[in-house]
Amino acid sequence: CLSAVLLLSLLSLGVSSQPITDGQRLFSIAVSRVQHLHLLAQRLFSDFESSLQTEEQRQLNKIFLQDFCNSDYIISPIDKHETQRSSVLKLLSISYRLVESWEFPSRSLSGGSAPRNQISPKLSELKTGILLLIKASEDGAELFPDSSALQLPPYGNYYQSLSADESLRRTYELLACFKKDMHKVETYLTVAKCRLSPEANCTL
Amino acid sequence: MKKAVELVLLLLLLFFTPHIMGKRYSPPGKPTLTRCRSPEKETFTCWWEPGSDGGLPTTHALYYRKESSERVYECPDYHTAGENSCFFNKNDTSIWVNYNITVVATNTLGSAFSDPVDVDVVYIVKPNPPEKQTVTIMEDKGWPFLRVSWEPPQKADTRSGWITLIYELRVKLEEENEWEMHLAGHQKTFNIFSLRSGGKYLVEVRCKPDHGFWSEWSSTSYIKVPDYFHREKSVWILLTIFSAFIFLILTWLLHMNSRSLKNCILPPVPGPKIKGFDNQLLKNGKSDEIFSALMVSNFPPTTSSNYEDLLVEYLEVYVPVEQELMQEESKDLHGGCLKCERSTSDSDSGRGSCDSHTLLMDKCGETKEEGRHTDRASSRMLTEAQRHQKGWEKDTLTYAHGDMVSPDMSNGRVKTWPSVFSPLPQYSSNPLDKQSSLEMAKQHCLSTSSCLTQPGHSTKEALGPSNWDFCLGNKQPHLLHPQTQVGRQLQAHSEVNISNIGRKQAPAGLQSPALRSTEYVEVQRVNEEDLVLLQPVVSGCGRIEGYPQMPKGKDYSKVKGVDSDNMLLLQREVMEEDWWTGNCYTSSTVNTTQKPTACIHTAMPVQGDMALAMNGYVDTATMCTLPTC
Repeated sequence: CLSAVLLLSLLSLGVSSQPITDGQRLFSIAVSRVQHLHLLAQRLFSDFESSLQTEEQRQLNKIFLQDFCNSDYIISPIDKHETQRSSVLKLLSISYRLVESWEFPSRSLSGGSAPRNQISPKLSELKTGILLLIKASEDGAELFPDSSALQLPPYGNYYQSLSADESLRRTYELLACFKKDMHKVETYLTVAKCRLSPEANCTL
Repeated sequence: MKKAVELVLLLLLLFFTPHIMGKRYSPPGKPTLTRCRSPEKETFTCWWEPGSDGGLPTTHALYYRKESSERVYECPDYHTAGENSCFFNKNDTSIWVNYNITVVATNTLGSAFSDPVDVDVVYIVKPNPPEKQTVTIMEDKGWPFLRVSWEPPQKADTRSGWITLIYELRVKLEEENEWEMHLAGHQKTFNIFSLRSGGKYLVEVRCKPDHGFWSEWSSTSYIKVPDYFHREKSVWILLTIFSAFIFLILTWLLHMNSRSLKNCILPPVPGPKIKGFDNQLLKNGKSDEIFSALMVSNFPPTTSSNYEDLLVEYLEVYVPVEQELMQEESKDLHGGCLKCERSTSDSDSGRGSCDSHTLLMDKCGETKEEGRHTDRASSRMLTEAQRHQKGWEKDTLTYAHGDMVSPDMSNGRVKTWPSVFSPLPQYSSNPLDKQSSLEMAKQHCLSTSSCLTQPGHSTKEALGPSNWDFCLGNKQPHLLHPQTQVGRQLQAHSEVNISNIGRKQAPAGLQSPALRSTEYVEVQRVNEEDLVLLQPVVSGCGRIEGYPQMPKGKDYSKVKGVDSDNMLLLQREVMEEDWWTGNCYTSSTVNTTQKPTACIHTAMPVQGDMALAMNGYVDTATMCTLPTC
């Protein structure tokens, strides 16, 4: 009992004396998690693509012309300039929405080597982390309740309705969109983290 | 007018010269987009490869469509990136948006469209190589190491976190061919250890975004590692001194023990050691003295403690009508299988043994040795019945005279042979006869320790022992056992042999009747003087009535006398037959066909007065095998 108390006191001291703030730490965790999710998404996509035959591949390449991702309704910065211009909070909220939008559809993703139920809980965890980050920021409390109400996807059941259809095209779209969105979140979070970090060179 | 005509002509020429020349123009070939790259995820460039131009000046144009709209844009910048390229600047570049790009080649005759390519800028990032690379030598507790440091490419915005890069560097010695790769991760410095003293190293770095392509290798940095050999040198010096010291010690040890080592490795050659042999004498050269020294007084042994071994003793057995027990002498034929006790006493009853005086000694004497040989041979062979048949045959062949075959099958019984009769001269030595006789003899020396040996059954021996010689000794206690045991043993063995021999015998009439003639006695007991007391077989062998191999027609006659021609005169006695056949022969074996008298006359010449001294019984059957019978 006494040792536990000592340990806790030491930890608190250590934490307080740390140059890295809680925010930093949370950001790091969130970034690492989203990076992992992105890698997962990449692997799923590449596995799926390799399993396709060349004929099908050619067909599927053409569908990129369409706007098929369910998260397309979420307005997000699409270049560096826009991203730089956005506030941290905005970035966080967008990330949050993106992750949330994938929470349900990720269950229908074909597992491949990793079982599909891995992705959904990870997304939930990430969502929780981002929420924490939002609350930790200054005006998060204000922004959050609004955004959450408005951000119901118009096609909330887009993939739900089509989940029964296990066509090749659907799977391809799903995986491609998932990969893209994960990369978006990763980028936004990284940028947000670097913006908060006191060091100039935040890639360390 | 003239000018107009000239102009027309010129124009015509212009138009038609190509046709006259034979050249053909065609629409341009299909161009292909080779690659698109973005160095920093903010701008990107696409390159294409033009097809054939069809002989006419061709222009290329790049058109693209963005993911969300149908609007077609043309490439904003054809020059910045060089020939056959299109550069998209920051304003035109959107991330996470699919671009559908097409290149069109156009000439006067037509145009050609390339295959469309979909590009997402995020996945085509290939940064520039790292910059400001430096390599320095640093020391860690006296051991040097390289520290490499670099900067990310200028354009890549890693500071804002827009792009994150990982680095990799490679090192090699100047003279080597293989690079040593090191992954540095996100860091911008790296340490390399385990350097070769005085070596010259080459270092290069490259980078890659999280999801993208590796950049090109940076420019090479050269660095020379200073010599820190002095440290190693001292170690070597120490080692050298130490090893020299040890070497000296070893040499000294060797020197001290040189003699013993020499003896160990190169032992001296031993000189000759002959008892009584004096090297000095040899040198002196007096052979007499030398060899006299070699003389050993005891050799060759003039007296032998085992002199008795050399004596050949015969066991003479006969079965008189009155069941007279005979003395016998043990005959030690051969030391080998016959562990015979010797009785020096030449208690020769004189009944037909080779040594006995009743026989013709001359021939016996001559043949004694041979007999002995054969006996020995036979004894040997008897123990291994069939194996030595050949050898036996050889022995038999040595004999000039045809042997009177009188094969005696002893089934544990003594059988007397008409050995007093020498074979008739008419009967040239018949190898078969001899063989059979010897074979017969063979049988009797069984592997049982009852050393039953057959006397040498040479032809000449026929004169002598046609007896069975028993070698009995104290060592053969089992002979004291009831006769049946011996009988059984011997019977079993000899019965087989009998059959064999019976088959082997040539149809020369000599032999078949010989089979028939047998006398059988049983060993009653062995007395203290190592004499086998025999008794004739009592009837009881009725079961063997039908025994096929048993010779039938056993005729025994008492020797009446010897006539002047050395002919054995036999006296036929009827009662013998019954008695002799005993229990092993049917009465029918009594063959009245035998003509004893005739046989007698044709009997073998008897040598000496052996016949009379014998038990007086001769196997007339054998006699009667004589053709003259």
